[in-house]
Amino acid sequence: MNVSYLELLKLAAPETIVVLTALAALVVDLTSTRDLEARFRFIINGMIACAGCVAAIVWMLVMPAHANALEGMFVVDPLTQVVKIALLGLTLFTVLISMDSTFTEHIGEYLALILLAAVGMMFLVSAEDILMIFISLELTSLSLYILAAFNKRDVNSAEAALKYFLFGGMAAAFTLFGLSLLYGLSGATNLGQIAAALEDKGLDPLLIVAMVMIVLGFGFKVAAVPFHLWAPDAYQGAPTPSAAFIASGSKVASFFIFAKVMMIGFTGGETNGVHEIAGSAAWQQFVSGWTPVVAVVAVLSMLLGNLVAIVQSSVKRLIAYSAIAHAGYMLIGVMAHSGEAVASLVYYAVTYGLTTIGAFGVVAVVEARSKDDQLASFAGLSRRAPVVSLCMMIFMLSLAGIPPLAGFFGKFYVFAAALKTGAPNLGLLWLVILAIAMSAVSFYYYLQVLKQIYVADMPAGAEELRVPVLGQVVLGLIAVGVILLGCAPNLLVGVLQASIKAAGL
Amino acid sequence: MKVEALTWLVLFLPLLAAGIITLFTLRNKAVSATLSIGAIVTGFVLTLAVIKFGGWDARELSVNWLSIGSLNVDFGLKLDALSLMMLLIVTGVGSAIHIYSYGYMRDDPGFSRFFACMSLFTFSMLGIVLANNFLQMFIFWELVGVSSYLLIGFWFEKPSAADAAKKAFITNRLGDLGFILGILIIFTALGSLNFTVLESGNSIAALGGMATLGGLLVFCGAIGKSAQFPLHVWLPDAMEGPTPVSALIHAATMVAAGVYMLCRVFFIFTPDALTVISWIGGITALLAALIAVQQNDIKRILAYSTLSQLGYMVMGVGLTAPEAGMFHLTTHAFFKALLFLGAGSVIIALHHEQDIWKMGGLRKKMPVTFWTFMVGTLALAGVWPLSGFFSKDAILAAAHENNLLLFILGVAVAALTTFYMFRLVFVAFLGDRRTGVAPVSDSKEAAQAGDESMRQARRLSYEPHESPGVVIWPLRILAVASVVGGVIGIEALFGGMFKPDAAHPHGLLAQLVYPFQHAPVAALSGLAAFAVGLFAAWKLYANAKTDPLPDKLGALSRAMANRFYFDEIYEATVIRIHDAIAAIADWIDRWIIEGFCIGLVRGGTDLTGRALRLVQTGNLQTYAFLFVLGVAVVLWFVLGK
Amino acid sequence: MTPLAGYLLLSAMLFAIGLAGALTRRNAIIVLIGIELMLNAANLNFLAFWRFGEHPEALAGIMFVIFSIGVAAAEAAVGLALIIAIYRHYKTANVDEVNSLKG
Repeated sequence: MNVSYLELLKLAAPETIVVLTALAALVVDLTSTRDLEARFRFIINGMIACAGCVAAIVWMLVMPAHANALEGMFVVDPLTQVVKIALLGLTLFTVLISMDSTFTEHIGEYLALILLAAVGMMFLVSAEDILMIFISLELTSLSLYILAAFNKRDVNSAEAALKYFLFGGMAAAFTLFGLSLLYGLSGATNLGQIAAALEDKGLDPLLIVAMVMIVLGFGFKVAAVPFHLWAPDAYQGAPTPSAAFIASGSKVASFFIFAKVMMIGFTGGETNGVHEIAGSAAWQQFVSGWTPVVAVVAVLSMLLGNLVAIVQSSVKRLIAYSAIAHAGYMLIGVMAHSGEAVASLVYYAVTYGLTTIGAFGVVAVVEARSKDDQLASFAGLSRRAPVVSLCMMIFMLSLAGIPPLAGFFGKFYVFAAALKTGAPNLGLLWLVILAIAMSAVSFYYYLQVLKQIYVADMPAGAEELRVPVLGQVVLGLIAVGVILLGCAPNLLVGVLQASIKAAGL
Repeated sequence: MKVEALTWLVLFLPLLAAGIITLFTLRNKAVSATLSIGAIVTGFVLTLAVIKFGGWDARELSVNWLSIGSLNVDFGLKLDALSLMMLLIVTGVGSAIHIYSYGYMRDDPGFSRFFACMSLFTFSMLGIVLANNFLQMFIFWELVGVSSYLLIGFWFEKPSAADAAKKAFITNRLGDLGFILGILIIFTALGSLNFTVLESGNSIAALGGMATLGGLLVFCGAIGKSAQFPLHVWLPDAMEGPTPVSALIHAATMVAAGVYMLCRVFFIFTPDALTVISWIGGITALLAALIAVQQNDIKRILAYSTLSQLGYMVMGVGLTAPEAGMFHLTTHAFFKALLFLGAGSVIIALHHEQDIWKMGGLRKKMPVTFWTFMVGTLALAGVWPLSGFFSKDAILAAAHENNLLLFILGVAVAALTTFYMFRLVFVAFLGDRRTGVAPVSDSKEAAQAGDESMRQARRLSYEPHESPGVVIWPLRILAVASVVGGVIGIEALFGGMFKPDAAHPHGLLAQLVYPFQHAPVAALSGLAAFAVGLFAAWKLYANAKTDPLPDKLGALSRAMANRFYFDEIYEATVIRIHDAIAAIADWIDRWIIEGFCIGLVRGGTDLTGRALRLVQTGNLQTYAFLFVLGVAVVLWFVLGK
Repeated sequence: MTPLAGYLLLSAMLFAIGLAGALTRRNAIIVLIGIELMLNAANLNFLAFWRFGEHPEALAGIMFVIFSIGVAAAEAAVGLALIIAIYRHYKTANVDEVNSLKG
């Protein structure tokens, strides 16, 4: 095995750039900007972080690569590139909505951790080896735990982080145990090799245990019922930008790798392609093995997420429960296991992440002034901050799946892809019916938020909210993105489709 | 460049207007109104140009919008007799309503916002009309939902308006659930969403066993949007919006979208599905007409009347006569817009008084409003040779041919229609002006009558007078359209599209007498129904001028109070039974449908939510335990198989 | 019983003990130790599978263990820091008293 380290560094250049940026932000904050006012420090270091993300994105756009280094440890292909660019975009917006925050003085550390989490996600996306998957999953998780705890003054932040951490630690232990069994059964760590080794072994109980343990590890990351319990508490207690990042970036990366493991590791070698292997008996066995599990998890997530969200009074908690429900919708895409389904899944996850960051951004604006995120604090917001309210309306309607916003198209695409795979017997039809019905329920609580913003009276003595220009611009940009991706989904879907073809899935 | 390309302009001008108003001219009322009115009037003129130079033939314009694997969707415009006529209605009636709004909303602080919403609504509606595939239609379908939400809730400071808006939106979403599911089924089974492709591809056969289900699911969308039983509950409440909005929503556009959609995709309905559709339409027509008889709010009477007429149209489509349904939709757009705008004219003249029992004698004060309103009433009642007669007759004739039971129901509804409309006219416009103590109003109004006494005082000291030109000119134009709408070849146009083989009358005289030659039973029954309804209304309400008490108080007290001029025998028998039926219908509507069903769903989900949140105890080890339990259950589930 | 089966049994027991500790003990530090035990059970699995597998010359298994020990150390560091943060606010490290976020 000959490895040219220069080649490897070139392949991993985007990740390297982000790591260096993280270090730069740390160093600059500790040395030169140390004595400045917190707001300026945030702006200067935030700009450094943004520049790093942009540089990495530009690198990937300019230097398209297609390689498989170290036997699947680090796979770069057009599809992973697209997902990484989307992740960096989400990171960028997270940094931008944090700029107005006041919850910490450790700005360099905060930004560095966001970037390190992003690096973890990027490696996760590129991994086709269970060792790399585990390590990058942990890098992401550990960074996010700390981000959740970042508001040292707030007792809820500490509580949220502790719950997130202990829950996550346990999930990681289960996942690692599952991975060890998988390694034992196949004698390999590469997903393709594992699939090849398992193909003639059939479905023995140990493999099922391994599969279940791995699935629940991802179930934890994407907050699907019954592995969701950390999510509402963590979202509510964590500082809002951290929660936004947990809800968006982490979710996109986890869903992508989830689908990848399901499609490569548990179905067949990378070279075979899904459609060719789809007919084999072993494939059928695997599908019958894990599809019911994922289906049950999806159903539970949609039901619990939507129903409990109705009775919430904290907006962050409401978004958390709705995130659980959205995880349920996305799991339908995971189940559909076709190239189209992956495209639809990535589209859904990315647009969902974007919308959620926007929604959390609005919450952050409100929270900064009224000190809590209760629904009542949003009362009459439309008269106090019209632009922000308009953005929130777009985010909420998109999450509810109202056309022509991105949320609608994502749902439509995922459901259509699922039905398409199930055709002609319409196997996934009942799941789709449930999903559509539950999305109607979800509409009720999203409208609840909008009703507070647009209809409810302002609290007495409330004055106009002064939202920084930068904040307004960022939220506006996200809103425009949500509209644009909804009106012209081809912008993203076309790229995804092409790259999936190029990646050979 | 071909003349069809102008249709793009028709579609996008209102969006442009809405965008510019929202972004730049919110503070400049005149510019906002000019932009919005200009966009829709230009649209009307351009549509005329397209028809004049391009004719009515079917053709399609499209650009590729999405092409991803098997999902290939165009963003296109489908032009044919159906869509072009609908385009004319939406832009034409819409123009009248826009101009009228300029007068009606003059003093409203949200004037510019109003016009922005109106333009957005117009854009969405035009999108539905022009869509050449299901996905595009669904997107605009939802946009109509959103913009109607904005319009109905325009006076969002009023809780009732905000609630009504929410109700309209949510009820519509319920129907849309079925719609999107139907679309997904059709897409999965047939692999295309384009109307032309689907139509030529013999989709019923291709859908096989799913055909009826798919069709009915698509029909769910129409049930929501066209406010058919049992999702009709949103429409009367939607009257909380400004009156021009009611006119726009109830006459030309939103509710018509459902019927239009049914005609557009008529080819996917199996005979079984059509039977269901016709019965849903018939039930809606009857139920709504019965309820309309009991209403006292002028806008609510018109709202229930709209419901009833929509039921008629849906019934027509279900009776395999989509051309009759569309014909009625067209004429109805004229006279119902006229009636709503007339009602609005009355309402502003009386400073937002809507109870007909507090009106009266308006004929002399507001002659133009009265006479145009009268024309609308006669057209709605189906008097020969006004437009309503012909379109209603077309539906009755179809019913007579296909389903005798529905034919009888249709005639009964026609009689009821005449009855409640003339009740309205007799009470509100004829007789003397009612002064003195305010009559007892029904509980719903009493509940929201907070500062009623002050407004009452102002109202009593105020003499109603005719509305300004910007209000009455649209009335005059719409009145003309309501008169001649039946004999200008609309029927032949739709007939030529849906049933090219059948003979259609041409020439004015031929059209005038066509119903009597073609289906004399239906035509004569329709006229007889008018006579019966008119007679009953005249008997009961013509001399009701000296009696301030609304008949709402119940049969007994009314019998005492109105003994001078109420025929007591008539009272004791027909009316009482009739009132009982109407009350039951109203009760079913209010409690069973609205209260129980919707309440149960809402309460059920709420309760489940409350129960489920108990799981989230906040205790970490409970979480961990549940986590492990989840693992165990999943393992058992998989291994146990 | 083959040696492999013996190791697997041991690791399964270790995992169960760790899980029991994490589920039942109130002190957050003990919960953390339980989780570490579970991780180590997985490590033991890796080693056993590597040693008694078909290709002991390929170092994948032992590499995995080395990395996962490193990760576990990082996790312990983060975990202890979080527990200290909790202790500052609550003056206790008992997880059942940390339950203000719920519902």
